[in-house]
Amino acid sequence: MGKLSIIMFSGTMDKFIPLGVLSSAASALGDEVNIFVTGFALLGFMKEKKPLPFPDEFKDMAPALEEGMKRTNTKSWYDMLKEAKESGNVKIYVCSLMASIFNLSKNDLDPIVDDIVGATTFLTQAENGMVLFI
Amino acid sequence: MGKRIVVDARGSSCPGPIVELSKAYRNAAVGDVIELWATDPGVKADTQAWAEKTKNKIESIKEDQDKIIIVIDIENR
Repeated sequence: MGKLSIIMFSGTMDKFIPLGVLSSAASALGDEVNIFVTGFALLGFMKEKKPLPFPDEFKDMAPALEEGMKRTNTKSWYDMLKEAKESGNVKIYVCSLMASIFNLSKNDLDPIVDDIVGATTFLTQAENGMVLFI
Repeated sequence: MGKRIVVDARGSSCPGPIVELSKAYRNAAVGDVIELWATDPGVKADTQAWAEKTKNKIESIKEDQDKIIIVIDIENR
């Protein structure tokens, strides 16, 4: 089976939806999925949850998006990831540089995170597979 | 003869139906038939892609009034 590696960089809600959808679809295909959380995407993976912001230019559309997701029974990005992890081979890694910069240990992160690793580990894992930057 | 497994994913949007299908597939055996019911407009193409990748056969795709019915022969596990 294949392999999908995602560099999750953005910290806004609109970008987390495709993270959930693509991870869950890849996992349903039997693919291995590696997610490398870096930059402000870290906000989505903290133990203490705060609602993720929408980018200013799309703020007006946020209520329609949320309403539409409810109407179509679309799961939250978090639930999609969680379900994909439970049923497939999905790993979530937090960038060790970002962890050091913000003085975070694994204890500060959501339990959905598997480990804190460096860029070298991620690049080695991603080798010969598909890589997306979100 | 294998089992016939009905997966009712009506009302579930992308990638929900394929996630439901792959869950049923995990518990299926070669010779079983999975019948997927869905309403998501992407499900025909997505199921074909899934079947190609997992080496299973689409037996038929039908659309009735309120759902798309895709019948898949499980040939590979």
